[in-house]
Amino acid sequence: MNNRIKELRARHSLTQDELAKKVNVRRETIVFLEKNKYNPSLKLAYDISQVFGVTIEEVFTFEVNG
Amino acid sequence: MKKAVLVFIVSALVLISTGVWYFRTKTDIAPLEAATGFGVIVILMFFAFFFGIKRLTSVMRDEPAEDEMSKKIMVKASSLSYFISLYLWVFVIYISDRVEVDIDVLIGSGVLGMAIIFAICWLILKFRGVRNE
Repeated sequence: MNNRIKELRARHSLTQDELAKKVNVRRETIVFLEKNKYNPSLKLAYDISQVFGVTIEEVFTFEVNG
Repeated sequence: MKKAVLVFIVSALVLISTGVWYFRTKTDIAPLEAATGFGVIVILMFFAFFFGIKRLTSVMRDEPAEDEMSKKIMVKASSLSYFISLYLWVFVIYISDRVEVDIDVLIGSGVLGMAIIFAICWLILKFRGVRNE
């Protein structure tokens, strides 16, 4: 699963800390999300997309193998 | 905040009671037994203080002490370390049949090993991250 959090965050001029506070998680969770080292729950994915004002599909994309 | 303070109070109480116990009975304890016993206590105290400090700094930074990722890391580290610990205990049983060691030392070493295994699993997952893939 890939995501555009870093790009969208930069577009909205948000720091990792600010985004973390908006979605009520720790800053390191945002760091791991941006590095694709953590897959968020549906709720967190929804909260993040709400902060950016886009749909979940616009933030998170799946790569189908085969 | 309450949980962090509670962790510190419990840790301090365990540390004080360990100190009292040690200074009252230190002449009777075998060195190996004392080392494993204190090893377990020191590691547990280290964990308690580490998590307590982490919680306090989170509260000071105005961020949640726990979130879904930290909980997931904890759950995964626990399950992984439990699985590995089963092999550790098999090894401890194997050793106990062949080497003459006091049962307290064996159990102490097993618990100490479990704590170390959990710490390693937690650290690996903490730096590697958890994916559901």
